[in-house]
Parts: sequence; structure tokens; C-alpha cells
Amino acid sequence: MLVVAIALLLFLILVQQALRDGLIDAFTGAINRQSAPVLVYSVDGQRTLQGSVITPSLQGTIQSTKGVGESGRIGQSTFTARINGAAKASVALFGYETASVGGPDRLTAGRMPRAPGEAVGSDGEFALGDTVRLAGARSAPVLRVVGLAANAEIQVLPTLFVSWSDYSSWVRAANPDASVVLASAIGVRPSPGTTPQALVQRINAASPEADALTRADAAQKTPGVSSVRSSFEVIFLLFAGVVPLVAGLFFLIITLQKARALTLLRAIGAPAGGLVRSLLIQALMVLGAGIVLGTLIWLPVSQATVGQLSLTFDAGAVLFWAVLLLALGLASALVAARRVLAIDPVEATTGGGGL
Amino acid sequence: MRLALRELHRRPSRFLVATAILALISMLLIVLGGLLDGLTASSTGALRAQRGQLIVYSSDAENSLVRSRITPDVRREVQRAAGARNVSGLGSVQVGARVPGHGLRDLVPVVLFGYQLAPRQLPDVVPARNEVFADSSLEAQGVRTGMTITLGPARSPVRVIGFLDDSRYSGQGTLWGSLDTWRAVIGANRPSERAGVGVQQALVVQTSGRSASAQAAAIDRATGGATKALTIDQAIQALPGVSAQQTTFNQIIGVTVSIGVLVVALFFALITVERVGLYGVLKAIGASSWTLFVGVVFQALVVALIASAIGVVAGIALDIAIPPGGSIPFSAGAGRLITSTIYLVIAALIGCAFSLRRVLRVDPASAIGGSDV
Repeated sequence: MLVVAIALLLFLILVQQALRDGLIDAFTGAINRQSAPVLVYSVDGQRTLQGSVITPSLQGTIQSTKGVGESGRIGQSTFTARINGAAKASVALFGYETASVGGPDRLTAGRMPRAPGEAVGSDGEFALGDTVRLAGARSAPVLRVVGLAANAEIQVLPTLFVSWSDYSSWVRAANPDASVVLASAIGVRPSPGTTPQALVQRINAASPEADALTRADAAQKTPGVSSVRSSFEVIFLLFAGVVPLVAGLFFLIITLQKARALTLLRAIGAPAGGLVRSLLIQALMVLGAGIVLGTLIWLPVSQATVGQLSLTFDAGAVLFWAVLLLALGLASALVAARRVLAIDPVEATTGGGGL
Repeated sequence: MRLALRELHRRPSRFLVATAILALISMLLIVLGGLLDGLTASSTGALRAQRGQLIVYSSDAENSLVRSRITPDVRREVQRAAGARNVSGLGSVQVGARVPGHGLRDLVPVVLFGYQLAPRQLPDVVPARNEVFADSSLEAQGVRTGMTITLGPARSPVRVIGFLDDSRYSGQGTLWGSLDTWRAVIGANRPSERAGVGVQQALVVQTSGRSASAQAAAIDRATGGATKALTIDQAIQALPGVSAQQTTFNQIIGVTVSIGVLVVALFFALITVERVGLYGVLKAIGASSWTLFVGVVFQALVVALIASAIGVVAGIALDIAIPPGGSIPFSAGAGRLITSTIYLVIAALIGCAFSLRRVLRVDPASAIGGSDV
């Protein structure tokens, strides 16, 4: 029963960790995937590409900041599109002006776009050669997927990296009332000798309207990501609390059930230390079996997709939780060990044998 | 039952471990449920606040308010199908708000809604241009009645004239003003999302007694498929992530309840093993297996209720400690607390039922002969 319980608990924790990681990746994958080491939002954007609008004057201030090497406009919006003529679906477009500061940093297949209408797609949702058409607007260019990138989604949507001109065309076609298409962010690469962190400070000092972040910070500080993290941390903490209590209770039952046998063993000279060692070995085997079973259940499930989230088998996470659960389980088994140590061998000769 | 009660009264320490574990599980259930409710409430409040029964999007919007565009022509078709007085416009834009007293970079994320049909709690008359009602969660951010806050990079000023509850959207506090206010703010701050004259993002339709689904079908037919009319519930479920969130959290809650069953089963198995001798004596003097089992069930019920009470208190404390609109979307409503308690009590009853077999197997002769189960 404990094997199943431990397996179930480990499985649950791993599912939740994978959901959390998948959710964060799908929220912000494109930010990590794009090539600019520094992203500059407008402070009004609240660190989201969808909310940020870079006015031409702010763009000028950013680009003239000392230490800026390369820079380029980045735009991001969601659209309704048809992929290969199929039913309508939501897609996100990540438009970049300069491939080295906003384009995908590496591909898993295909090549980078060379001509208008070519795109790099997130590899979970697109295949090479896919065509993507903006629904309800004939004037927008049809996009063809020529490259694929891993973990490249944004806003939990199939995502396409496209040129700035294709991005602008889609925005104007989707909303004919659009007066001008402004950048959502500016991708910046520091000039030689300037670190991304130093450049972030300089840009933020140059304008109170600018909110510059390194690539990693831009992904981690996206609103929603910290909520997801803190919510899951509370859940993990509570699960970690349940494990030693369940394991402790179980070994206490086992010890009580074997009370007579243990008393007899003590009476015929078995040392208490030996009995405790046996108990701990038993605990180790039961916990180990639970962990192996939990991992085996998780293995096929980790290949699945929940909604639009791809789960992944993270060996590091499995190892971390396995060691933690093993340690917590063994620690709780020590409560039962205390009972073993308290056995009085005389009980065997007086007809007792309780713990 | 009396014996079971006495044992609980005289030896409460015996039940301490089980109560502690179940209290933890109760907290887990309440935290999980509270997170689900908090996430859902903070994403859907604006739709739930609507007085209309239908939301009409443009069909190419994939049920997304931001992407939807209803032109004046399409609105006329909808009015023809649903009655002009029953149709009103709705628009939204997410912007950063500068609140007096906040730092230069300390903006409050808000969603400004432009409306024609007042949401619940608001007066029927739409506020004057540049006046807005604010969601009460924004009070925690320092927003006050009579205060002027500025929106977006264009610093569009709006004056707060009152508050409404539970109208958050997309995890953010909301502001509610006229369609003119919305059009001015979106035009000044989001030129690529600008709405032309007469263009709205969606329509709110009151069905005036007609079946909502029939009315929705009639609207979509009348517009020749240019619209997608949804009931409020359908629109909520269509919000990105809402239904996936609910399914995932409910599955996790289900598994947590099953862990509760396991804990109770283990604990009462332990109790029963310890009491085999006592049960033997009781059976020998005429107590039935059923009487003994009812005692076990009673104890499980008491332990589960005490654990639930601890969980409920912890849940309420957490609800008070977490500020509204904070980084953890948590809401411990009465319904969630009651549901979690019911789940735990059911888990306890099922769990202790596993001890029935052991109780039935106790041989009264063991009280005399000393044999064990």
C-alpha cells in the first residue's frame, strides 16, 4: 500500500512540476528563444510584449544610448489564422526587424527566413512547409514555415517568427483601423566591452519610459510567471509535508503488527541496532519501489500534451524529488525505529509483546 | 459510540498524527481549490458582471475580445435579429495606470472597458467621458474615489467615480467607462488596435426571455456567419486557459482526496491492529461487529471534522493574508470551504471502511485464548 502511495505522490508532484514548467515555457518560450540579449519594453507595457508600445521618440532614445551595438524593432500580436487551410486557430506572430536581435537564436530544423512570407514556427505545432493564412483578410501575406525552433511559443499559442514587414502587414490586415504599427519592444545587443546588465542600467537611466531587461529577466519577470511559480510552490510544500507523515504512519503499523516477533527476537539476543537497521532497509526498499513505480507511471505520461502544453520528462526533477522523498520517508521511519528500541525482551517471557 | 467518544476524550494524543495529516490534506484541498477559484475569478469577473445573456464576437476572432471587431454594418444585422434595445457595445484595452503617490515606474496594470449596458452593481447611466468606475481590487493599489489616474504612454486621464466588486479580467483590475472613453484611450495608446468610428470589439445582448442558444443561433444566421454569439458561460469557458485550468486543478484535487482516503485507511488500520484484544473482549461480552465499526466511523468523522476545521481556519487566514490582486490569486469562499470539508469527510468515511474487514475478523475467543488477528 505504501509503495502505491509513494508512487502516487511522486507522480502527482512530477505532473505538477511538468505542468508548471510547461506553462512557463509556453508563456515565455519565444522571449528566451529570440536572439537579443536585452529587451527594452515601454514601462507602460508592464513587462509584456502585448502591452508594450515603443513610441518613435522612445525608440530614438534607446538606440542612441551609449553601449548599444545592434538594435531592432520587435512586434508581437495574436491573430486568427488557418494552418494548411484547416479550421481557424489562434496563432502568435513574433515580428523582428533584424534577425540577430529578435529572430530565433537557433533552429531544430529547416533554415532561417530569407524572403518575405517565410517564417520559423514553434516546433510543437508546426511542420516544415506549413502554410499559414490570416483568417478573414486576403490582403495579408501567406506565411510558409521554412524553419522550426524548440520552446518558441508565447502566450501558450503556436508561434511564428516573421520579418517586421510581414508582421506589420498582418497587423494592418487584421485591423484596417490601425493608424500605425509600433514596436512592442526593441531588441538590443550591447557593443563589445559592454555587458547586458550594464546596458540595461544605462537604458533605464536614459529614459523613465524605458524598461530594459536582460533576456532571462524578461522571461522570468513576465506577469503571471511569478504567480504560477508561487502557487505551485505552496502546493509542493504541502505535498512534501504529507509524504513523511504517510510513510511514518505506515512503518508504525508495520512495527506494531510485528511486535510479537520483534520482542521474541530481542529475547533471543538480537541487538536493537540490528532490528532498526532491518526496519530502515525495509523502509528504503519500500520507498525505493514506490519511487521506481511512480517514475515508471510518469515516463509515458510525460510524453503527453495537456491542452497546448507539452509535458517533458525532466531527469533532474525526478532525481531531486526521489532523493527528497527518500530522505523524508526514512526520517519518518525513525519514529517506528524508536518503538523498536523501546522493546523490553522480558516481555517475551511474561506473555507480553506489545510496543 | 460512547466508548469511541470516551477514547477520543481521554486519549486525544492517539489521534494527533492522523488529525495532523488530515489537517495538512484539508489545507492542500483548500489551497488547491482556492487557487482555482482565485484564478478563475480574476480572469472572468468582467464577463460574469454582464447583465446581458450573450456576448457576440466577430467570427474571425476565435472568441477573443481583443481580436474581435464588430463593424456598424454587422451591429445593425445583430440589432435586426435581437432588437435594437437589447444590443449594446463593449470594448477593452489593457494598459498601465499611473496612480498618484506611486513611483515613476510603479504602474498598476488595468483593463479599461467601454460599455453601453451597465454591468451589475453600476448605475444604468453610462459615466461621462473620461470618468470610470474601478474594480474594488484596485483600492489595494491606492486607487480612491475622486482620484484622477492616467492610462498608457499617452497619459490619458480618467477620474474614478466609484467602485464595483468582482469584475477582474485577465488577472487584472478593471475600469469601466463609456465607449467614447475607451475609443479615446485605445486610439491614443494603442494605434495598431485603434477602433474606427462605430466599431466595437463585441456586443452584449439581452435575450428578453428568449432561449439564449436560440437567440445566439438567430444572430449568427442574421449576420451570415460574420459573428459568433456565445452565452456568458460559453464565453467564460472560451477564455484562454480557463477550462484547461479547471480540468487540471480538479484532477489534482481528486488525487489529493484519494490520498486522504489512503491516510485514513492506514491510520484506522493501525488503530484496529492496536485494539484487537479490546475488540475481542467487547465481542466476547456481546458487542456486535456493527457496533464496533460504528465507533470507528464515528472517530473517523470526528478526526476529519477537526482536521477540516483546522484547514478552514488556515484557508481563511491565508485569504486574509493575501492581498486582493496580489501575486497569488487565492480566494477561499464559503462554497469552496464547505466543498473541501465534504470531500475530506467522504474520504475519511471511505478510508475507515477498509477497517471493517479487520473488525469483522476479530475472534471473541482471542480475548480468552490470546490468539491474534
